[in-house]
Amino acid sequence: MLSIESLSKSYRKNNILIDISFTVNPGEIVGLVGENGAGKSTMLKILATLSQPSAGTIALNSLPYQRNTKNVRKLIGFVPQDIALWEEFTVEENMTFFEKLSWKNKTNKQLRELCLEMKLEKWKEPVYTLSGGMKRKLNIAISLIHDPILLLLDEPTVGIDLKSRKEIGAYLQAQAKNNGTMILYTSHDMDEIISLCDRIYCIGKDPFYYKVLQDSGKNPILL
Amino acid sequence: MKGILKTRLIHWKKHWFSLLIWLLFPLIATVGITSVTNIIQDDTKVPVGLTLEEQTNAAMELYHKIKETPFIRVFELDEDEALYKLKKHDLDSVFIIKDGYEEELRNGNRNQLVTSYRSDLSFAYTPVKEMIISYVQQETGRSKAAYVVQELTKRYPTNKQFSWNQIEKKSKEIQNDKNLLNTAFSFSNTPIREHNETQLFSIWGLWAVFSILSTLLLFDWVIKEKRASVIQRFPFLRVSIKHYMLGNILLYGCLLFFIDLVTLCVVNMMFDVSKHIWSVVSFRILITIAAYIIANRCKQTFLFYTLSFAITLLIAISSGAILPTTGITERWPWMGSLNPIQPFLAGQFTNPWLFIVILVSILGYIRKEKINA
Repeated sequence: MLSIESLSKSYRKNNILIDISFTVNPGEIVGLVGENGAGKSTMLKILATLSQPSAGTIALNSLPYQRNTKNVRKLIGFVPQDIALWEEFTVEENMTFFEKLSWKNKTNKQLRELCLEMKLEKWKEPVYTLSGGMKRKLNIAISLIHDPILLLLDEPTVGIDLKSRKEIGAYLQAQAKNNGTMILYTSHDMDEIISLCDRIYCIGKDPFYYKVLQDSGKNPILL
Repeated sequence: MKGILKTRLIHWKKHWFSLLIWLLFPLIATVGITSVTNIIQDDTKVPVGLTLEEQTNAAMELYHKIKETPFIRVFELDEDEALYKLKKHDLDSVFIIKDGYEEELRNGNRNQLVTSYRSDLSFAYTPVKEMIISYVQQETGRSKAAYVVQELTKRYPTNKQFSWNQIEKKSKEIQNDKNLLNTAFSFSNTPIREHNETQLFSIWGLWAVFSILSTLLLFDWVIKEKRASVIQRFPFLRVSIKHYMLGNILLYGCLLFFIDLVTLCVVNMMFDVSKHIWSVVSFRILITIAAYIIANRCKQTFLFYTLSFAITLLIAISSGAILPTTGITERWPWMGSLNPIQPFLAGQFTNPWLFIVILVSILGYIRKEKINA
């Protein structure tokens, strides 16, 4: 379980996040929504140990973040907003490259299966020839090589077609359900958030997202 | 390290051609330029025919001395062929070391030891003839000295008896040690300055300049990979970005050193010029670390490429390869020691620049550790 208690973050005199507390249970997909600059990416960066909170505590499976950064990182899969791939490498080479530097050793067959589960069939194709959707799938697949228990995704489906979005969504749901992976997801696409997430948190002062979610019958939680 | 090697192999597989080109560039360029220079030099040398009527030590020694003369290209031929070629003007002149040369030399006879021929188009006959005469006179002088020493030992009997060969050997030693043609003068109470300037336009000078350029250009991977978006993934990998970079520097260093060893063998085989392996090791460590430090400071590859060419050019110029710097280095001798190539050319393992780059990299490492902490 991921537990966040009284988390605050401020840059100089700007308070980005104030006294935020919530938990994410195993197998749960939690959505984070809010306007641009509300602090979603900051929140994800803190949860990914890439940024330090100004106050508050975080623990992953009872392992406190403070002084355990390296051990916590082993349990986290982080999918950055950018496509973080070697463009001139093939899908296979990208998977192999990160597997060789990863915490877990996987065979070529296991890596291939991971891609196939995401409906990423083009194994020998260079990344620069892939569609945006395929690249996004590979971006997620690489973050899952070491079987993380917490998956943090920063707008992972931005700029891709509906079919690929649905495939990614379906895969994430299966991942949470079958492996008990905790998934924290940020997006501006309300339909995607509504269909995918078990719980949704709204960050920021703008009530727009909160109202949209309420109108759709969801029960968003204001942070 | 195994994981880093495998990831680097994927990169190398993608860029094998450019990698191979830049790895072999110093060797190819050095061998190419040196070979072309040698061919041009050979073509501009005076072609001289030499006939040896006897194969004695003295005759062979004279033959080798003539052959080693820089402006002469010697063709060893029999008399008929040599004269035929002279007639055809393929040769500038012909010299025949006569049968009984060594015996006549030992007898102190200085006349009619070598027969020479010239044609109406021989333009270098006189200087070549004078040079050969000087060699012969040198040898007759040595024989005369040996004869006198032996006569003295006969006239004033001592316990020590010197053979002809011993006297000849000692005479050559004295000739080499007391270089009468090159004497250094100095003011009273000032030390005599040794004039052992290392010339850059040597094979190793060329190789060093080309190696600096190729190593710098090969290290563009540092900028490309640091700028790549994949850098965001490293915090979640077993291998940190710092270890990934260190591992890759080591791999590149080993690969480049392997090519250096190949170069050592090739250059030694082709031009009979050797270099102490430790000076190559030291130079390789220096340019590998320096290339990483420079690449690490650059954010754009274009800037890095420009800087690489500028640095190489600066080193080449300051070494005296393009413009003579004798005046500057004589006035300010410390200028010579500023050049990172000089210790390598002098065959030294210790290079002040090596300590500087190691110090800079340690300071950079400590600084990064503090920032990360």
